Amino acid sequence: MASVEIIGLRKLYGNVMALSDITLSIPSGAFYTLLGPSGCGKTTLLRTIAGFHAQNAGKIAIDGTSIEDLPAHRRDVAMVFQDYAVFPHLSVRDNVAFGLKQRKVNRTEIENRVKEVLDVVQLGHLADRMPHELSGGQQQRVGLARAIVVRPKVLLMDEPLSNLDAKLRVDLRAELRRIQRDLGITTIYVTHDQEEALAMSDIVCVMHGGIIQQAAPPIDIYLRPANRFVATFVGANNFLVVNRTASGAKLVSGGADVTGLIHDDAPIVCAMRPEDVRVLGPAASPLDGEITISARIREVSFIGREMEIFVETDSGEHIKAVSRPDPAIVGLAENSPVTVAIRPKDLSFFLDSSDGARVS
Amino acid sequence: MTLLAHLRRLEFWTAITWLILMVLGFLLILPILRVLMLGFVDAETGGLTLGNFIEVFTRNYYLNGLKNSLFVALLGTLGACLIGIPLAFFTARFVVSGQAWISTLAILVLVAPPFIGAYAWIMMLGSNGFITNFFAIFGLSTPTIYGAHGIVLVFTLKFFPFIYLMTQTSLNGMNKSFEDAAENLGCTPWQRFTKITLPLVFPAVSTGAIICFVLAIADFGTPAILGRGFRTLSTIAFAAYRSELGGLPTMAVTVSIVMMAMSMLALLLQRRILAKRRYASALTNPPRKKRMRDFRNVAMHFFCHGIVLIAMLPTLVVVYTSFLKTNGPVFIGGFGLESYERILRTAPDAIINSFIFALSAVVLITLFSGLISYVIVRRDTAASGGIDFLMMVPYLVPGVVIAIGYVTTFRGGPLDVIGTAGLLILLYFIRRLPYGVRSTMSSLRQIKPSMEEAAVNLGAAPARAFFIVTVPLILPGLIVGALMGFITAINELSSTLILYDGGTITMPVQIYLAVLDGEFGLAGALSTVLLICTGVCVYAVFRFAENRDSAFL
Repeated sequence: MASVEIIGLRKLYGNVMALSDITLSIPSGAFYTLLGPSGCGKTTLLRTIAGFHAQNAGKIAIDGTSIEDLPAHRRDVAMVFQDYAVFPHLSVRDNVAFGLKQRKVNRTEIENRVKEVLDVVQLGHLADRMPHELSGGQQQRVGLARAIVVRPKVLLMDEPLSNLDAKLRVDLRAELRRIQRDLGITTIYVTHDQEEALAMSDIVCVMHGGIIQQAAPPIDIYLRPANRFVATFVGANNFLVVNRTASGAKLVSGGADVTGLIHDDAPIVCAMRPEDVRVLGPAASPLDGEITISARIREVSFIGREMEIFVETDSGEHIKAVSRPDPAIVGLAENSPVTVAIRPKDLSFFLDSSDGARVS
Repeated sequence: MTLLAHLRRLEFWTAITWLILMVLGFLLILPILRVLMLGFVDAETGGLTLGNFIEVFTRNYYLNGLKNSLFVALLGTLGACLIGIPLAFFTARFVVSGQAWISTLAILVLVAPPFIGAYAWIMMLGSNGFITNFFAIFGLSTPTIYGAHGIVLVFTLKFFPFIYLMTQTSLNGMNKSFEDAAENLGCTPWQRFTKITLPLVFPAVSTGAIICFVLAIADFGTPAILGRGFRTLSTIAFAAYRSELGGLPTMAVTVSIVMMAMSMLALLLQRRILAKRRYASALTNPPRKKRMRDFRNVAMHFFCHGIVLIAMLPTLVVVYTSFLKTNGPVFIGGFGLESYERILRTAPDAIINSFIFALSAVVLITLFSGLISYVIVRRDTAASGGIDFLMMVPYLVPGVVIAIGYVTTFRGGPLDVIGTAGLLILLYFIRRLPYGVRSTMSSLRQIKPSMEEAAVNLGAAPARAFFIVTVPLILPGLIVGALMGFITAINELSSTLILYDGGTITMPVQIYLAVLDGEFGLAGALSTVLLICTGVCVYAVFRFAENRDSAFL
C-alpha cells in the first residue's frame, strides 16, 4: 500500500514531447488507469515510472520517497507485461520465485509465498509446468503472480489483457480487479480499451499527445468530459455547429436557442451522446422541453440489442443515434423525414478545437 | 538531472559499451589505420607520398595483378551464379530427391578450407595428376589446371554455395501468389521466371555474388597454389611483404588497399542498386514444389547431384590421398597410414597450436558476441550503431591487411609480451568475431525485450538479468556463433602466414608449406584432420541452428 505522486514529469524523444509536464497523484490502494489512443504517452509514462526510460525532468515519489533517479531494479514497482514476458526457460514455480530470489528471501518463505500466490491466481496445480505448456491466459496469471508475490509498493500493468481473446479478457478483468481489491495494492493500469478502463478503475486518466486531458472517476469521465477530446475518445458523440450572434447562440441544425446553456463567447460546438438522441418517426411527438431538429434518414442498421440510426439534418449535419430496436424506425426508407429530439441537459458544449475545453 | 544522478545511472551496459569500443578501437581500428597510413609512406625516406599508388597504377606488374584479380574474381562470381541460381531454383521449385544431402554437401564445400580445393585439383589435373595421367595412357592431353582458368574453376566450385543457399532461402520465402499472378496475367513459365522470379530474388543473388567477389579478391591460397606466374593482387601483396621484410611493407600495404577499395566499391554498388528494391512481404502463401517428369526430371537430378559431387571432389581426393602409401613425398602404390604417422611425428605442433589458438579465440568470440549483440540490438545509441558498422569491417579487410597491421602495430610494442601466439589468438578473435555476433544477434532479435525488463523489474541488476535470463535464451545463437568462429578460425591461412614463427605454425600453414614442397600425402593427412574438425562442427551447427542452411551465410 503506497501513494504515488508525480510532479512535472517530462520526457522528450528528440524533439517530440512524449510526456509534457505530467502531474498526478494516486491515493494509496487505488486502481488508476491511464487511457488513451496509441502514441498518447500512457505506456511511456508507465515505463518511466518503472525506470525503463529516463525522464528529462520531474519527480516521481512513492509514499513521499523520490524514486526517479533509482535504477529500475531497485524501484520496488512490479510490472505485468502486455506480452506476458514469462521466462520461457523457467518453470511456473521458478518464474514466480524469481523476484523473491533477487530479494534474497529465505528458501522456506519463498516456497510458502509461491504456493500461496499460485493459489490466489488459481495455478497451484500447474506449478511445475513450463511456460510453453500454458495458454495465454494462464501465462498472464503467471505474470501477475510473479509481480504480486514480491509485495511491491505499486503494481504496474501494461495492457495485460490485450493479447487475450474477448471472452477471456472479460473474465480475467473481473479476476484482476478482485485480486487487486483483496490485496489493496496501488495499481497503475495502461489500456486503450475504454470499456476496460471504465469497468475496472477507481480513477481514469485520459491522455492525449503526452498531456493529461482529464483524471476523474469513470462516471464523471463519461458524463462530464472535461474537453472535446475526452468527449470524442470515451464513448461516441455527435458534434453540431453552434451559430454565435450578438443576441445569443443557436444550433445551425433546427435553430434551437442554446444561449442559456453556455458561459463563454468563443466559437463552440455542441455535443450529444448517441444514446441520448431520440429519433421520432412521423407518428411520434417530442416531450416537453426537448430540443427538436428535423432531419432525414440516411441509414438504419439493426444490430440486435440495439439499432444505430444515421440521419442528416436539413442544414446538412450528420447525427448518429443509438436506441432500442423499434420496427417503426427500422422500416423507414432512406430520405424519410424524421425528427431528432434531445433534452437540453444532455447537451455539452466545448470550445471549437480538437481539445477544446468544456464551456457548459 | 544532477551529476550524482548521472553517475548512478552510469550502469552496466554503458560501461560495457565503452569496453567494446576500446577493444575494437585497439584491436581492429588501430592496426587497420596503421596499415592504411603505411600506404602513403615512402619506404626509403619515411616521408609522406602518393608514390606507392602511382607505382601500382603505372607499373605493368601491378596493373596486371589488378587486371588478373578482377578477371578471376568476376568470372569466378559469374560461374558461381551460373550454377548456383539454377540449383537453387530446382531445389526450391521442384521435387528433388536427396535435397538434404545436396544442401549438406554444399555447406561442407562452403566451410572446407579454401586452399584444399586448389591443391586437390593439382592432384587431379596437374602435370602429374591422376586424371592427366589416365588420359595420357590414350595419348590424350587434358587442359592444364594452372593459370587463370584453373583459379576460376576453383572459385566457381568453391563459392557457388553462397549463391545457391541465399537464392534458395529467398525463393522459399517468396509468396506463391506473385508467380500465380504472373501466370494468370498470361506469362509463359519462362517469362514468369525471367520477369517475376528472377527480379524478386535479385537482392539475395546480388548479396551472394558480393560475398563471392569479396572472398575471391581476398583469396590468397588458390592463386598462390594454382597461379604459376599468374599473379593476383593477393599474391603480389604477400610477395611484396616477403621481399620488404625488415623494411616498411609499404608496397604490400598499397596493393592491399587497392584490394580493399575494390571490395568496398563492389559492396557500395550493390547497396546502391538494392536501395530501391525492398521486396519484404509476409509469407502468407508459401510456394509449393512441382514434380518434373521424364527425361527432364532425370536431367535435373543429374545436374543437381553432379554439381555438388564435383564440388566435393577435391575434398574426397584429399581424404583419399591421405590414405595412400608413401615413402617421404613419393606415393609408392597401395594404401597405408604413413602420412598420418608423419604428421604425428613432424607436425604435432601444428595440430596442437591450431586447436589452442582457435579455441582461445572462440572463448573470446563467444563472450564478446553476447555483449556486442546485446549492445547492438537493445541499445539505441550512436555508439551501438558504430559498433554495428564496425562488425562489417573484418569481412571487408583482407587477412593480409590486418596481419600486417598487427605486425607493424604490436610487434616490439608493449603488447608484444603476449608473444606471437597471443597475437594470433587476438587476430583470429577480431577477424572471426562477426560470425559470432551475427548468429547471436539473430537469436537475440527473437527474444522480446520485455524478458530482460521483467527480470530487472523483479529486482535483478542489468548485468545479472543478462546472465540469468538473456544468456540462457540466446544460448543456441551463441553456440552456433562459437562453432562458426571455430570453423573459420581453425582454417585461417593468409594472416597466419604473415604472423607465424617457428613455434606458432598452424595446420593450414603446414598444409600450404607441404603443398609447395610437393608433400601431398602429408598435406592430405593434415587436411583430413582439419576436415574432420570442420565436419564435426557442421554437424553440431545442424543440431543447434534453427535454420541450418542460413546459419552458414
